[in-house]
Amino acid sequence: MAKNPLHTKLCDMLGIEFPIIAFTHCKDVVEAVVNAGGFAVLGEAMHTPDEIAADIKWIRNKVGDKPFGIDLVLPASVPPTGDLDELRKQIPQEQMDFWLDMKKRHNIPDPKGKIDLHQWGGLNKEIARNQLDVLLDERVPVICSGLGNPEFILKDAHERGIKVFGLVGKARQAKKEAEAGVDAIIAQGYDAAGHTGPVGTLSIVPECVAVAGDTPIIAAGGITTGQHLAASLCLGAVGVWTGTLWLASREGDNDMIIKDRLINSTADDTVYSDCISGFPMRVLDCTWTKEWRGDDAPKVLGAPYQMLLSSDYIQAANDHRREDLMTEAAGQGVRFIESMKPSRQIVLDMVEEALGVFENLTGMEAF
Amino acid sequence: MPEELQKTVRGFDPEMAGKRAECDGGGQFGEKYMRREEFAGVLTGEYEDHGDPPWRWYLMKDLYRKPDHYPWDSVWCQKGNLYLEGE
Repeated sequence: MAKNPLHTKLCDMLGIEFPIIAFTHCKDVVEAVVNAGGFAVLGEAMHTPDEIAADIKWIRNKVGDKPFGIDLVLPASVPPTGDLDELRKQIPQEQMDFWLDMKKRHNIPDPKGKIDLHQWGGLNKEIARNQLDVLLDERVPVICSGLGNPEFILKDAHERGIKVFGLVGKARQAKKEAEAGVDAIIAQGYDAAGHTGPVGTLSIVPECVAVAGDTPIIAAGGITTGQHLAASLCLGAVGVWTGTLWLASREGDNDMIIKDRLINSTADDTVYSDCISGFPMRVLDCTWTKEWRGDDAPKVLGAPYQMLLSSDYIQAANDHRREDLMTEAAGQGVRFIESMKPSRQIVLDMVEEALGVFENLTGMEAF
Repeated sequence: MPEELQKTVRGFDPEMAGKRAECDGGGQFGEKYMRREEFAGVLTGEYEDHGDPPWRWYLMKDLYRKPDHYPWDSVWCQKGNLYLEGE
């Protein structure tokens, strides 16, 4: 019998059974995936330090000594000021009129509550620093930095037995983080949901492998099947980082409207557009994205103005659960999300599919 | 949380002043996402250190590359995401 091809360096490093990482904003998904033998990372970027501490306690109560991770979007750049009210007044009339006309034509209601305007730059440096200190104090098993280089916390983290992963969109970032001593690097390709780098998953993974020396690379971007997992290992990755895959899981806390849309979507139903934030991001196509690529649409504004303009729409869509308006970030692998499966089943199906690939390739029983 | 962990120290690094650099920047966007954005410009040498161990940020001005419609003429860049010209 051949060696189990799914038992990688990542499994040894984390003490996990399968090299599958779920990135999620839902604690129930974390619990299910970790207890199924995978690894899960909870996105906590917009949570307060107290909320993060409470979530860590909750997860520990559910998974015991099994490892898990917390992801923060450490900012890599921040503007000198961030007065949103002032910026809002600067939105050009042409674009504002276009939005107001769209609102009327599609009968888009006002949001129910105060618009959840996020501070430009999301988090300032001080808040992010306080979040990090909680992760160090709590000795969370793995800290993931969703953007900025985490080199400045490596010494403190390692002294506490904490592993640190960095997510990158370019090979030069991988090289720099590897040289700094991060424990693993997540190479995220263009196929991913949300704001991605410009390089496709099939290219960025081996490129990062080539420059990162002994630092393990984890593949991200469009990964939703065991075939993707097997392919990622063939590219030199030690595991996969998956996000969209869990949005429609049974434990996932997304609205059922979004879950249905994900289940019925293919890569063609995702669009890579700058009309939501002013930066290109991959989302499910919706009224907003269709309108902004219409013949009569004005020029999309840059950030932060476009984000300020879209925030009314997005919040109204969610508050009123309007199926025709709602959207969600989704990667190009969405085609393979075909039903609302339990997270444990998703893990096991992915493993079985990947082993099947290796068996077909080698003609040997993989495991 | 210990008070000193939140301290911000401002200073000037003459070694960095006047150097041209690129920044693979970005940050949080909305509740759940992050955004990537790229800058290139000249470092002023001014820096801020947040917490202990220090998380260092350099101020970049004279931006000759920035996202469309970025309304400011400067940006704070995390040290680990800076690439000095010729580096």
